[in-house]
Amino acid sequence: MAAATGITKKEEVAFRHGTLNGKQLSAKDREALFRAHLPPEPQPSSHSPTSSSSSSPSASKRARNQAPKTGRIRSLLHFLIYQTISLLFSVFFRFRRSWRLFWYKIRAVMRHHHHSPEWIVNDVKNLEQLPKHVSVVLDYHEDDQDQGTAGLEGLVNDVCEIAAWTASAGIPFLSVYEPTGVLKNYHTQTYAAIQQTLENYFGSRRRPTLTVKAPHMTSYSPPGTPSSEPTENGSTTSRPHLTVLLLSELDGRDTIVDLTVTLAQMAQKGDVRVEQIDANLIDAELNDHVSTEPDLLILFSPTVVLRGYPPWQLRLTEIFHLPDNKGVNYQVFLQALKRFGKAQFRVGK
Amino acid sequence: MASLHKHGISKWIASSPPVAWTVRQLRELLIGALRQGPIPQHVAFVMDGNRRFAREQHIETVEGHNMGFEALARILEVCYKAGVKVVTIYAFSIENFKRSKHEVDALMAMAKLKLLQLSEHGALLDRYGAAIRILGQRNLVKPDVIEAIDKAVAMTAHNKRTILNVCFPYTSRDEITTAVKSTVEQYSTPIDTVQTPSKRTFSESHITQHIRKQMVGEDKDGPPAQDHSRSASPAAKSIGDSNSSATSTAINSSEKGDVPSPGPSYLDAETISIETLNNNMLTAGAPPLDLLVRTSGVERLSDFMLWQSHENTSIVFLKALWPEFDLWNFLPVLVEWQWQKKKLQEQQRSRGIKNE
Repeated sequence: MAAATGITKKEEVAFRHGTLNGKQLSAKDREALFRAHLPPEPQPSSHSPTSSSSSSPSASKRARNQAPKTGRIRSLLHFLIYQTISLLFSVFFRFRRSWRLFWYKIRAVMRHHHHSPEWIVNDVKNLEQLPKHVSVVLDYHEDDQDQGTAGLEGLVNDVCEIAAWTASAGIPFLSVYEPTGVLKNYHTQTYAAIQQTLENYFGSRRRPTLTVKAPHMTSYSPPGTPSSEPTENGSTTSRPHLTVLLLSELDGRDTIVDLTVTLAQMAQKGDVRVEQIDANLIDAELNDHVSTEPDLLILFSPTVVLRGYPPWQLRLTEIFHLPDNKGVNYQVFLQALKRFGKAQFRVGK
Repeated sequence: MASLHKHGISKWIASSPPVAWTVRQLRELLIGALRQGPIPQHVAFVMDGNRRFAREQHIETVEGHNMGFEALARILEVCYKAGVKVVTIYAFSIENFKRSKHEVDALMAMAKLKLLQLSEHGALLDRYGAAIRILGQRNLVKPDVIEAIDKAVAMTAHNKRTILNVCFPYTSRDEITTAVKSTVEQYSTPIDTVQTPSKRTFSESHITQHIRKQMVGEDKDGPPAQDHSRSASPAAKSIGDSNSSATSTAINSSEKGDVPSPGPSYLDAETISIETLNNNMLTAGAPPLDLLVRTSGVERLSDFMLWQSHENTSIVFLKALWPEFDLWNFLPVLVEWQWQKKKLQEQQRSRGIKNE
């Protein structure tokens, strides 16, 4: 790799240590050294066309005659190289995508969870650490041809499956980010659907208790299922509990704006001084009203694009995606947990 | 990855002048070719992996940082020649002060040295047309480094073509907090004080203030006779609680202000928008972040550009360590970005046709 920098040994040493043949370089020496690497003088054509031509009319005339010719050849060359590169990479990207998707499929068949928590527990039991708060980014497709997950039904389906995997892996907190926030409008339905899926996975006896909540809404854990309900032998079960938090685009930048508005109004009334505002205050407010910082963010998209995810919360979050993968599947989830199991956290070190 | 000490011959050949010249021409050609397609306007780099690189190559940590700086110089050249308008680099996090004193001092000394060297070549910097800006908490930096920073910033301030944002000591949460604070400050400063104070000794509002005080003093339980309940409350409170911080501002402003309306008036807080906060961020005025590259295989933002990269930014995590990062690692990233951009445009176009 060092081969391809286009810098000679002498220049490299000069650059790194500021010496040439053992002598300390002065500013002038340095300029002489890297003169060859510099881009051409910026064309003063736009603001001062007269100044350059008046100084040496003959030289500029020669340059003007020569420049278009070499310039044209150069730009033709650039165009050709660009097209070649685009073509080659386009073929390469497509091939790589097919290859990856092929492997993902193979893996998906080999390591299916069979809708049973035991398999999932088995998959994650050797991990050094598990996240306490997992977050996922989902898409709401109004109509989608290549996936079976169109519309609200598909979205709720995805949420249910992910919730079941999360509960099976023993992770207590799941936040679901979906930009349009359509799920928040179907709060109770979402709750019922997740409840049903959990029952399918765990059976009605071992089903984890569930809370579904969203910022600025009362959390929903219906009266029929108190978090600790007595069993036949009188003792309360130690059922795991799963909290699902629904987030939307409004909980991102807009919430920070809301907070600023509130703070500004308080400051106008004199209830708060500017010096009292600090990162801890903002952090506490956003933690309470929106969401805490997730340990792991799982994207099911082919590339890493956050699509308006609440910015404040993403500080040290491990971000996982499988390149070229499209759509929710268990393999992404499992790979993400495995990656997280190995990740080490160093703040600033 | 080949070790630095091995492959001595191939390295010798590669750095021999004719080969180096050829490679340089090839680089220029490739960069020129890239310019033919869409180019991200704003690129950010997290320069991660200097220390690991040093460990793996058995060289001093400081030397690793030094080589990281060389990689930065190379990549900046690529970016600016390719037509990137703004480059933002994560040079030093506020959290980095937790590192060993030796390393922090060495990093600071390096920053100072490089900035001072940079300011010796003002004319050459103009060729790139790059203005340097330092984003971060200045008060955490030692004064001698600040001096070097100010010199470099002042020297390049007139350049308009490209911008180099150096985040030094920076964290994104600190940036957002500062933006919120300055917005609040802006909106809680009475507008009246901006006007020139009146020359007259007596002001109407001051007199009304006094009258109001007397009235409230006579009848403490009664509500202040006013329609502006919000602006009146500090004045009313001041009777009972003379320590109230708001009192002084309310009275001061009305003294200077000489406006008929009682109490200070403010900008409407409801008009605060995402744009307002954007303008208070350290990257104000820069085009939206198109591409964020983090090296050394760590898939985290680590408190960098949280506000800026939250929407349509392509975030790319690379395995390469920063000191070995170069055009050859960056080229596939750029080409893929261009490819995705073109695909996105095609999609939007087809969707547009469908909607019609």
